[in-house]
Amino acid sequence: MKRIRISSCATPSLAPSAARRPLCPYAAALHRTIAPHNHRIQARFQTTAAVEEFGGQKIEIETPAFKTEKTRSPSRRPHRHVTPEHMPSPHPYEANQSIKLSALRARLSLPQRFPLQTLARTLVHPSADPDPAFNNASLSILGGNLLSYYTSEHLLCNYPRLPMEVVFAATEAYVGPRALAIVASEWGIEAAAEPGGEVEPGLLQFKRLKPGEGIPAALRKQVPWKWNVTQTHRIVATDEFGSHNAPPTPQSLANVPVPMEEAAQSFVRALVGSLHLHLGAPLVKRFFKSHFLSRHLDLSDMFDFRTPTRDLSRLCAREGFEAPVARLISETGRLSRHPVFIVGIYSGKDKLGEGAGASLEEARFRAAAASLKAWYLYRPLDATVPSSMEGELDTTKWKPNMIDCGEVIV
Amino acid sequence: MPLSAIQKVATAQNGVGAFILPCKRITLRYCDWAGSSKGMNAYLKTQLGFFAKRNPQIEIQVYKKANDHPAITAYYLNGHQRSVNVKNMAPEEIKEKLELLRNSSPEKNKRVPAKPVTSINENVRGIWSPFHGAKIKI
Repeated sequence: MKRIRISSCATPSLAPSAARRPLCPYAAALHRTIAPHNHRIQARFQTTAAVEEFGGQKIEIETPAFKTEKTRSPSRRPHRHVTPEHMPSPHPYEANQSIKLSALRARLSLPQRFPLQTLARTLVHPSADPDPAFNNASLSILGGNLLSYYTSEHLLCNYPRLPMEVVFAATEAYVGPRALAIVASEWGIEAAAEPGGEVEPGLLQFKRLKPGEGIPAALRKQVPWKWNVTQTHRIVATDEFGSHNAPPTPQSLANVPVPMEEAAQSFVRALVGSLHLHLGAPLVKRFFKSHFLSRHLDLSDMFDFRTPTRDLSRLCAREGFEAPVARLISETGRLSRHPVFIVGIYSGKDKLGEGAGASLEEARFRAAAASLKAWYLYRPLDATVPSSMEGELDTTKWKPNMIDCGEVIV
Repeated sequence: MPLSAIQKVATAQNGVGAFILPCKRITLRYCDWAGSSKGMNAYLKTQLGFFAKRNPQIEIQVYKKANDHPAITAYYLNGHQRSVNVKNMAPEEIKEKLELLRNSSPEKNKRVPAKPVTSINENVRGIWSPFHGAKIKI
């Protein structure tokens, strides 16, 4: 259990001695150059307290009244010099000497003003260091929210008719746990064999699972809270990927051995969060566009229709189109071993879609699926996303987005 | 449910948005006694700093191994590595080898197959189909 002393941070002049480690590396760096910095540290402590409420981890935050009592008992304050081997994660000052960290910063084309201490902090998973002032739990909550915000606004503005199931799957494909772990490995992140204060700070620090040990209960797939989980519940109450249960909070994984995938994804999220704090939203948006949206994802491959012909006729009835009719466009080798039929689906005189198959039925189904995809994957020209107007005074560039009434309900 | 989604993961296209150099680390091995390291030692003293400054995204490690030929090993993002023995080489040759390793792909050397180039992007003109268009009667 770690103790955080608010008083020693908020009023450094009154604090009797230095803490075991500087409480915020960036603020500590500022402390050496700029004298008044109290507001910064207090802001950090607000986030730290929020983390404490979130997770099940109990952190005692001493109030100033407590503090005056406890300063008298020297046994409670182990503030003597601690060797790196006894620290759970590397000292923030080690980060400036790390060549791995500066290489990583250059590899991701981040500006020099992004501090290496923060980059080092994003690499510390709560399983390695349970102290929320030194691990990446708070940053990864912020970064995870930013990633899901930018992804979902991109999907919803550019594909307004996309069914909710596909929106969930596409969000997971861009910023889901597996995608983030792959992104981290493509950035050249290596993991430390065992976390500790003496370890190179450029390595991912997390407590590894022992051989034969299953993944922790918090990360295991759980039975849903009730069996008929509705779409609304999945949109509102759980995560951005439409899971049945809410994911574990980062701080709840403190001191729990986790798989590397979990630690790697928390690093990517925390990096995005710390970029937002240090460099601002415009740079994060550019970073997101170049590192996440630039990845290839074919949305038309993500549809799995059960009954496309029925869905299509319901869609035509809903939208007031004429009832769809399947017509044979072309065929070859009807009596041979490999016949090919080309079937088009028409609504009145308009061709909605076309499909090829080895039987008339297959071709008709493929044509109906193609027609549905043509409807669902409609993409308005030059859509503007809400985040592009953040902080803009001139809002004439804003175009209201199209909102569709949703997928077909059969 | 009339419609369900197929889970996928978006695939990387290095260079489409951000470009990340595949080479992440280069180690240079030298010996301060043997003659085969003469060029390597000169390179380390005079030119390695410029290379490191030009390539901040590469982590550079230099280490001494006595009684051994000098060598350069490059480590890549996908976990592969390539090594070059640079014994008796002049600093200029070592520089070339270093550039070669920096610019190399981490994949194994293989013949470029004589296959047509495939693309994930949709063809602008569409693909010719024998089933569409004017019917030709023979």
